[in-house]
Amino acid sequence: MTTAQGPLFSVKGLTKNFGGIRAVDSFSFDVGEGSITGIIGPNGAGKTTVFNLVTGIYRPTAGTMLFRGEEIGGNRPDSIVRKGIARTFQNIRLFNRRSCLENVLTPLLQREKCSFIGAMLGTPGARRIEKELYGKALDLLSDLGLGKYASYQANTLPYGLQRKLEIARALATDPTLLLLDEPAAGMNPEETRSLANMIAEVRKKFHVTILLIEHHMDLVMNICSPIVVMNFGTLLAKGTPDEVRENPEVVAAYLGKGKRDNERAAG
Amino acid sequence: MFLQTLITGLSIGGIYALMAVGYSLVFSVLNFSNFAHGAVIMLGAYVGLALATKLSLGFGLVLAGSIAGAGIIAVLNERLAYSSLRRRKAPSLYLMISAMGCAVFLENLVYATIGSRFYAFPEFFGRQVVTLGGSSISLLDVGAFLFALAAILGLHLFINRTRTGIAIRAGVSDMTMCSLMGVDLDRLIAIVFLLAGGFAGVAGVFLGVKYLVYPTMGWVTNKAYIAAVIGGLGSLPGALVGGLLLGIVETFVSTYVSSVLRDVFSFSMLIAFLIWRPNGLLGRDSEEKV
Amino acid sequence: MDYILSIVVLACINMIAVLGLSIFTGFTGLFSFGHAAFVAVGAYTSAILTYYYSVSFPIALIAGAAAAGLVSLVIGIPTLRAKLRSDYFAIAILGFGEALRVLLENFEITNGARGLPGIDSFTTLPIVLVCLAGGVLIARNFLRSRWGAACIAIREDPIAAEMAGVRLFQTRLLSLVVSAVYCGLSGGLLAHFLSFIQPVMFTLLQSTQLLAAVIAGGMGSISGPLIASFVFIALPEALRVAQMWRLVAYGLLLVLIMVYRPQGLMGYSELSSLFRKKTGEQGGQQR
Repeated sequence: MTTAQGPLFSVKGLTKNFGGIRAVDSFSFDVGEGSITGIIGPNGAGKTTVFNLVTGIYRPTAGTMLFRGEEIGGNRPDSIVRKGIARTFQNIRLFNRRSCLENVLTPLLQREKCSFIGAMLGTPGARRIEKELYGKALDLLSDLGLGKYASYQANTLPYGLQRKLEIARALATDPTLLLLDEPAAGMNPEETRSLANMIAEVRKKFHVTILLIEHHMDLVMNICSPIVVMNFGTLLAKGTPDEVRENPEVVAAYLGKGKRDNERAAG
Repeated sequence: MFLQTLITGLSIGGIYALMAVGYSLVFSVLNFSNFAHGAVIMLGAYVGLALATKLSLGFGLVLAGSIAGAGIIAVLNERLAYSSLRRRKAPSLYLMISAMGCAVFLENLVYATIGSRFYAFPEFFGRQVVTLGGSSISLLDVGAFLFALAAILGLHLFINRTRTGIAIRAGVSDMTMCSLMGVDLDRLIAIVFLLAGGFAGVAGVFLGVKYLVYPTMGWVTNKAYIAAVIGGLGSLPGALVGGLLLGIVETFVSTYVSSVLRDVFSFSMLIAFLIWRPNGLLGRDSEEKV
Repeated sequence: MDYILSIVVLACINMIAVLGLSIFTGFTGLFSFGHAAFVAVGAYTSAILTYYYSVSFPIALIAGAAAAGLVSLVIGIPTLRAKLRSDYFAIAILGFGEALRVLLENFEITNGARGLPGIDSFTTLPIVLVCLAGGVLIARNFLRSRWGAACIAIREDPIAAEMAGVRLFQTRLLSLVVSAVYCGLSGGLLAHFLSFIQPVMFTLLQSTQLLAAVIAGGMGSISGPLIASFVFIALPEALRVAQMWRLVAYGLLLVLIMVYRPQGLMGYSELSSLFRKKTGEQGGQQR
């Protein structure tokens, strides 16, 4: 699970209280470089809260989060992004009234160092950078099969493509670690399968490590290893898909819900 | 000197409180700053003025007529300018802009039709003065202050003791749930605006009697709004505390520091409270509707 | 002829302020009831420089715009850092504007509430047109730069914007400063056109008019608010409508727009798709 140099990302004792409610309770896990790590667990287990903590949207109550050996807890979301963690959202958050191209272009532009005055005056240098980034954004869209939608307004895309666009936008921040929050939500089995392929491709092509939350057991069991199981804000189990599947506690937590899916994935 | 200042402050504060109640009442249910309230106060004053001068009614009837008039205007205001926004759950900001539009519209409509002349109420009370501990107080101020206290107390009892009041409080905590439970939301909100308008009518008459009646008199309510923010928007005791506090602070600043800096000071207090204590001294937590 | 000319000049001066507020409100998604204060800062700074210190007009204009930008930091830093509710922010700026006006009414150098008369009338139509054209060009460049993209991203979704690497506070502050600079420039031109300025010219009512033009013209549009602003100033002048009836109409318009069409007349689109092509956005507004 961990490489020789230690894990890419390591969470220890992560805790988050909302008033009197403890949404995440001393949760620990590692993400090895190059892996596709899955987080599963029943609804309300605290999975999305973990993502919000990792990306700085919430401040942790306690615990440490080491990314490439550097503590990121308490940092603002934009600085965490610049350190190399990007994410998508469970309930898609696109820049709705902008084109697909502009959605991807926005993070690309944020990474560019350019002079304010030059940009305001539209100097040839500024224009050149702009052109370059346009090209990059188009390439990125094409990589995810969105090339022909470049000029479409984001909220006019069908649901599945909006999810892809969100992944494209996340990739445009040039991440090392990509967090996907239920990327297959609302997709049919066909679309889910193609998404699984895409995630595998993305990992290879962009050299990213992936951490994903998912309810579709087929997807998780097929592409994730290791898998981390959360329940009531704490770690219930972790291991390879097979280990997790055999784990009686996990089966109990999911009783009647994911079991058949698991078997189908195994078969 | 000190006592005189304090008493002057309290009497101004009483009127601020009376006006601030209207802001708080609407904010507590609809969660937005109803800037049209000042215009409703102004219209209430004109209604009272018409009754007093054209029909030569006594103070009691003038007050009653002004309360009724301003109440109806406030309800109409809600129906025409806010209700459709409220139904489609628009951001509170949109309601506020609409309210600002109403204020500009109503004030200038009065300005364009009735004119910019300053009108005075007939002398209801004379200029009687009582002396207390070596300082003189106008009887009108005392009356206004006591009336303000009584009215706010009455409203407080109404909200806490009556069926309708309890429905309003339920509406405050959860509007959607309230309508699911079979409470008629439109009626509830109409009652809230009727109450706010009634208070606007009272405030309008007191302001008009104390000072004069003119189209932009509602801008004094900027101060009342500040009082509501200090006390905590949406809290009735807060409106009272905020009003009195602002009245006293303003009077002391203008007496002991500089009358010029008084308004600068008040607006700075507004900004400071919005930044550091947006729920005011006594307000509850409120989340913005997005 | 002179009459028509002066209407056009006034309308163009107003358009520059509206352009600034449009960047702030239409593109960054923050509302303000106090931008007239920045117009006032620009007007007074430049007028005082030319009137008392005989500074040359262009330098005074630049100084006025810069002063407005600096003053906007005073209110922008604490309020934007505190991440106020959007309506509280609009009110905080309102309070700031009113406080500033009270100060202007009481400073000696501004000649108090009586106003500053006898300012040289340097502003001419060509100067105003150059400023307006430059303003539009720079606004366009701004909006397609990384900073403009960040502003629009924040308007669309602040959390997603942060996750795209946008610095929330800095970007909002920048947008405020840019809009204040436009307002300051507009104020400098105004002072040197009317040759008389008074604090009452920069009240909440003026702020509301600016906001009304932006909202009516359309959120997220440059051409819409410019057209609205021109119509707002020129039409009532041409029809010789009294000031108060104009305000009646502004008020009513604000309510009607909020009730029926909150995105404004040209919400999120520009006058012509041709214009869009030029900005290189490749017709990003397909529906």
